Amino acid sequence: MEPTEENVEQQTGPAHGFNFNTVFGVLFVVASAVLFLIIPGQIEKPLFVLDENVNALKPNLFPRLAAIGFGGLGVWLFFRSFSIDEKNKFKNLDRQAIANVLVTLVMMSVYGPLMMQIGFVVSSAVVIAALSTFFGNRSYGLTAAISIVIPVSIFFVFTNLLATSLPPFPIDTPLTRLYLL
Amino acid sequence: MWDSFLLGVEMAMRWDTMAMMGVGLMLGMFVGALPGFTTVMAMAILLPLSFFLEPLIGIPFLLGVYKGGIYGGSIPAILVSMPGTGASVATTFDGPALTKKGKGRKALEMALFSSAFGDLSSDIVTIMFIGPIALIALKVGPPELMAILFLALIVIAATSSGVFVKGLLMMVVGLFLGMVGQDPIGALSRFTFDIFQFRAGVPLLPMLIGVYALPEILIAIENRATGMIKQTINSREGGPLTFEEFRSCFRTICRSTMIGTVIGVVPGIGQVVAAFMGYAAAKNASKTPEKFGKGELEGIAAAEAANNAVNGPTMVPLLTLGIPGDNITVILIGAFIAQGLRPGPQLMVEQGPLVFAILVAMVLANILFLIIGYFTIPLFAKVVTIRKSILLPLTVVFAFAGSYVPRSDPFDLLVLVGFGAFGYLVKKLSFDVTPMVMAFILGKELEYSFGQTMVLAQGNLAQYLFFERPITAAIIIGTPFLTYMLWRRSSRLRNEVAAKLSDEIPS
Repeated sequence: MEPTEENVEQQTGPAHGFNFNTVFGVLFVVASAVLFLIIPGQIEKPLFVLDENVNALKPNLFPRLAAIGFGGLGVWLFFRSFSIDEKNKFKNLDRQAIANVLVTLVMMSVYGPLMMQIGFVVSSAVVIAALSTFFGNRSYGLTAAISIVIPVSIFFVFTNLLATSLPPFPIDTPLTRLYLL
Repeated sequence: MWDSFLLGVEMAMRWDTMAMMGVGLMLGMFVGALPGFTTVMAMAILLPLSFFLEPLIGIPFLLGVYKGGIYGGSIPAILVSMPGTGASVATTFDGPALTKKGKGRKALEMALFSSAFGDLSSDIVTIMFIGPIALIALKVGPPELMAILFLALIVIAATSSGVFVKGLLMMVVGLFLGMVGQDPIGALSRFTFDIFQFRAGVPLLPMLIGVYALPEILIAIENRATGMIKQTINSREGGPLTFEEFRSCFRTICRSTMIGTVIGVVPGIGQVVAAFMGYAAAKNASKTPEKFGKGELEGIAAAEAANNAVNGPTMVPLLTLGIPGDNITVILIGAFIAQGLRPGPQLMVEQGPLVFAILVAMVLANILFLIIGYFTIPLFAKVVTIRKSILLPLTVVFAFAGSYVPRSDPFDLLVLVGFGAFGYLVKKLSFDVTPMVMAFILGKELEYSFGQTMVLAQGNLAQYLFFERPITAAIIIGTPFLTYMLWRRSSRLRNEVAAKLSDEIPS
């Protein structure tokens, strides 16, 4: 845990009003209540018990402790929040920055399904080209070269050298099917 | 233990281990030299590569990335006053001033030699102490292990973040995530929400890459335009470092090495604090403290020896007790687990020669680091100018490929993006993810050892702990006091670093 920029910024100061930490304090208390409610339905019951050891640890003990932890610490954070002088760094972001992050997150979310549909190499080439252009790179020749060379290299390293699998080229699947037929 | 050490030395002398360590060092220096790219991010992204290599190649490869990354951060810190990693912030106090004076080459070489010396010495100390510590660790039974894990989690939560309660909350989040899957005693499913993939638990690797690598990418693209350093970099400007100049800083290097070594053993403090403490100690001891901050070679030596000396000793709690002390060792524990090795007291018994081989490889990595570093400084100085708009998309692709390959399950990509978004959100709101990841990794072990302790106690836990397991009782009673002491100390150190930053950086 290096004291990063944000750690360094933290200082305890005079009491402050309602802030994001207060909201999180409340959210953790709510999480505690939800956890208590879902514990009975989310922990499997043993089908049969041959010899119940009364001293054995029950599978719901630690979840209950976690729920108590959320509740207790949420209350602590709620009250502590009024004396914490921390910046909500989302407030420093302008519209452009928020758009940049959201577009990147959307591209990341699309990348996985795309990879499964059209294969690793093609989807990665598309993502590299799109993200690189979006991030401001205007050397299209370089972008094209990198978009092809890097995914092919990664594909080669993982599938050939390390003997693992990545979603193959789209042409591979039909060919395999034809072969099987 | 001595036999294990000798066997370990023999095992470490392999050309493929050396070759992959060299690759790791180069990759680490490359990433470290890129402003805005961190060593943690590099290790998270390269972690999957180590899975498919045998332990004696994969783990030294990651250690190479670690060592190279910490040093690599000093290159942009010296040349363009932009620390490549947090560990090299203190290097910016004198580095850029030396570059302005036309002594950039001397500064880079001093950083290299002092880093290598600090790292090498602390690795040797680590090897000397790890054996006896492991022998003590062997006496640890389930109750003691439970108490130590509990203490470690609380201490990490306390020292990780400025606000103690936020660290504790993240720890509980990690404990909860660790409960997803099966309970460690009866293997009954918990919190799977009828999602088949969760039956095996939350996958560790996509989680690690998600919380450590993707948020860095998202933060880096907030401002698209700040992608490139336009100035020309000349790392060969000025004459080389002379032996006399190195000798004049030797006392400082030794002092900083000692500071870094001690800090490395204590969980949760890390390289940044070590570099600042090393720098402050050198300034206090100097006959000409007024020269510090204006281009003093001794300032570079002090900061770099201290931050690199942290590297070796962080392995002590990891290898002897299975407790990672910081975010880098959290990633290393992921590599060990993936290789089927569970760091902890038993590891030294079952795999003693392998553990020593890894430690010996760390020592050899420093020699490689010195050679590779010396000849590649000009190359990595050029890396500073590479555009982020090209590198960030490649990082995304590598993160996705790395998350997918261990299980070939598209679900892992969802987990990756989910934890990436979560990591970004909490980083922006000043929550630290490291207590969460540590609790996720150690939670099952804690629950299992607690379960064993309950059975051993036969229904009377308090009596058993206080009368039959006094060490466990002492650790449990001592936890609040030790936590408070470490919290106070880390807060004070953090405030000192903050004060130092506000004093020195604007100038």
